[in-house]
Amino acid sequence: MAGPDAPTVIFIGQPNCGKSTLFNSIAGLKAETSNFPGTTVKHTHSRVSIEGRLLDIIDLPGTYSLCPSDPAEKTALSHLFSEKPDLIINVVDASVLGRSLEFTLELIELGWPMVVALNMMDLAEKKGIKIEPAKLASLLGVPAVPIIASRGRGIKELLDEAFKALEHAGKPGARTWSRDVESRIEELAGLLPPEFPLVANRRFTAVKMIEADRLFCDVMLGELEPGFKAEVDRVRRGIESGRSAPAYEIISAERHHQALKIAEESSRIERGRKVPWDRKVDDVIMHPFYGYVILTAVFMAFFFLIFKIGNPLETLLLKPFTSLDQDLGRHLGSNVLFHLADGLIQGIGGGIAIVLPYFVPLLVFMAFLEDLGYLARAGFLLDAFMHHIGLHGKSVGPFILGFGCNVPAIVSTRILESRRDRIITSLLIPFIPCSARTTVILALVASYLGPWTAFGFYVLNILLVAVLGRVITSFTKAPSPGLILEIPTLKRPSFRNILKKTYFQLRSFLAFAWPLLIAGSVFLSLLQAFHVDRTINAVLSPLVAGALGLPRELGVTLVFGFLRKELSLIMMLQALGTGYQGLLTVITKEQLLVFTVFVSFFIPCLSTFAMLWKELGRKVAFLSAGLSVSVAILLAWIIRIVA
Amino acid sequence: MSDTDKKMFPDERNSDIMPVVRNMRTKGMSLVEAPINKPLRVIDIAGGESVRRRLLAIGFHKGDVVELDSLAILKGPILVRSSVSDMRIALGRGIARKITVEVLDGRS
Repeated sequence: MAGPDAPTVIFIGQPNCGKSTLFNSIAGLKAETSNFPGTTVKHTHSRVSIEGRLLDIIDLPGTYSLCPSDPAEKTALSHLFSEKPDLIINVVDASVLGRSLEFTLELIELGWPMVVALNMMDLAEKKGIKIEPAKLASLLGVPAVPIIASRGRGIKELLDEAFKALEHAGKPGARTWSRDVESRIEELAGLLPPEFPLVANRRFTAVKMIEADRLFCDVMLGELEPGFKAEVDRVRRGIESGRSAPAYEIISAERHHQALKIAEESSRIERGRKVPWDRKVDDVIMHPFYGYVILTAVFMAFFFLIFKIGNPLETLLLKPFTSLDQDLGRHLGSNVLFHLADGLIQGIGGGIAIVLPYFVPLLVFMAFLEDLGYLARAGFLLDAFMHHIGLHGKSVGPFILGFGCNVPAIVSTRILESRRDRIITSLLIPFIPCSARTTVILALVASYLGPWTAFGFYVLNILLVAVLGRVITSFTKAPSPGLILEIPTLKRPSFRNILKKTYFQLRSFLAFAWPLLIAGSVFLSLLQAFHVDRTINAVLSPLVAGALGLPRELGVTLVFGFLRKELSLIMMLQALGTGYQGLLTVITKEQLLVFTVFVSFFIPCLSTFAMLWKELGRKVAFLSAGLSVSVAILLAWIIRIVA
Repeated sequence: MSDTDKKMFPDERNSDIMPVVRNMRTKGMSLVEAPINKPLRVIDIAGGESVRRRLLAIGFHKGDVVELDSLAILKGPILVRSSVSDMRIALGRGIARKITVEVLDGRS
C-alpha cells in the first residue's frame, strides 16, 4: 500500500467541516487504487495520482482539538502522530471561522507544513461573513485557500497550493501567548531532558504536558521520570496560580482569544440582514411541538417512500429472472448443472431484483438526511427520550446510521465519550433494522402482508430498542454525562453529494455483499444437489420446526443469515423450492412473520459481530449475540402464541 | 437529576465564587433559567473536568456572549447560540444547569 516516495498528506478538521466531502472528491478524482472502505469512519487511506504526481492521502475522523475527549478523536490523534505527515491540510468550516481557528492555531503549534482549506465559503457568505483568504493566510503564516467542497470548487487551487507547500516545506511558527503563560512554557521546554521523546517540537511537547490530561501524557509522551513529573506539576501550578483557573482552561482561552482576533481581522461581518432561511426552517424543525411532528413524518416517509419505489421495481425486475430460471429447469432437468445455474440466477437476481430496489432508495434517503444536517437535529429532539432509556441525544447519530448499516454505526459510537454509553449503544444497534433487514421486512412482510403491517413491525422494532435500552441501563448505575452536541448549519442538500455518497456505499455493496449473496446461493444449491442440506436441517430441526414452527427446510437458511441477512431471504425461496409469487402457497402468514422476526434478530450479522469484537472486545460481541438469540426466540414465541 | 444537583456544589472548583453568584440572583443565573433571545455572558462553567474540556474544545468559553435559542419540551436539551463564532450547540439539561450566565442589558 505505501509506496516508496509518495508524500503523505493528512486531512484533519473539526466535525462537520466537510472534510470527508473534500477527501472523497479528491480520492474519487483519480484514484489509482481504490479506497479501503472496510476501515471507513476510522480513517481512510488513498493513493492518488494528480497531474502525474503521487500522493498518499489520509482522511482522519473529525476532532475538535488535539486534547482528545472521545475514542474517535484519539484515533485521529494517534494517526496524526504515527503517520508523520509531509503536509497537513486543515479543513476549516468558514461559516464558524472564529471557533474553527482555535484548532488551526493548535495545529500550527506542531510546526509541520500546513495548508488551510477554507471550506463552505458559500455558507459563510450566506451568513454575511466576508473572509479575505490572503489576509487570513498572512495572519496565520500558512496558505489559506477558499473552497466549496460540496460543489467541487477551489479544489484544484488547493492541490496546487499543497504541491507548492510540499516542495518548499515552509514550517509555520506558533504564535506566542500572554507573557505569564508563555514564559512558563518556555521554561518547561528548556527543562525537557535531552533524550526526551519529543512530539513535533519542544514547545508543543511542553504545552501538551501542561494542558493534556494524564492519559494523553502517559500514552503519547511516554512514561515520565518521576523527577521530571514534579517539574511539570510545578510549572503547571505556576500558570494556574496567576489566573486561578486550571491550566487547560488558561491555554484554551489563549487560543480562543487569538483565534477570535484573527477571525475579526480577516473577515467582515455584514449584520443587520434579515433572518436567513435556514434559521426560519430550523425554528420549525426543532420546535418543541412541530419538531416531533416532522420527525415522525420523516420517519414514515423514510419507510413508505422506500417501499413505494422499491416494490414496483422489484416486481418488474424479478420477472426476467423467474422466467429464465423456469426455462433452465425445463432444459436442464434436475442435474448438478441445473442446481449450479439455479443458484447463480437466484443469487444474481436476488441481488438485483430484491435487494437493490429497496437498498438504493434507502441510501439516497439517508444521504439526503445526512447532507441536510438532520441527524444532529434528531439528536436534539430525541435527547429527552434517550434519557428515558439511560442514554443521551448523541447516541441518536449512531442509531440513525444503524438504519443504513450496523457496522459503521458501531464504529461511530466512538463519538461517545463514556465507555458505558458506547457499550450500551453498541448492544442496541444490532436491533436497529438496517438496510438488509429493512429489505427483508419490505420484501416479505410488506409485499405479502401489506405495508402497514410492515410499518407496524418497524415501529415495534424501535419500541423493542427502547425497552431493551431500559432493561440494559437498569443494570448500570453511572448516569450518562449529558449531551454536548454541535448543531451544524442546515445545508441545502447537494444532488452531487448525495449521488456520490450513494455511489460509494453501493460500490461497497456490489464489491462485498453481492458476491457473498451469489456465492451463498450457489453453495446452498450445491448442498441441495448433494442432499447435504437435509443433514443441517435435521440438526436444526428442534429449533426451526419445534420451537419456531417453521418448515424444517428453512434451517439451513438461518445459518447463512449469519453472513448477510438478505441471504436468508433469497435462500428461503430456494430452500422451499418456490418462486417469489408462490411463497404463500408453501407457508402461512404467521410462519412468514415468525421467520422475519427470527431472521431479523437472531444474531448480529457476521460483519456486525466482527466489528463489535474489534471495537469493544470479545465479551461485548458475545453478550450481543446471546442477547440477540434470546430476544429472537422470545419474540418468535410471542408471535406464535398471539398469531 | 436530583443527584446532579446535590453533586453540583461539593464538586465546585470555584466554590468561593459560586455561593455569591447564587445569592445575587439578579446577576447570575443558570443557563436553564435564562431568558430566550437575550444576550448572555457566560460567567462560570462548573462540572467535572471532562465536561469542561469538551465545552472548551467545542468553542464554548467563559466570558463568551451566548443566546438561548429555544427550550425543548419534556426536560429536553437547550439550544445555545454563541454570538462569538455564530454556531449552535445543544446542551443537555444537566450540563446547562452547571453553566452560570448574566444577562447583558442594552448592549449589542
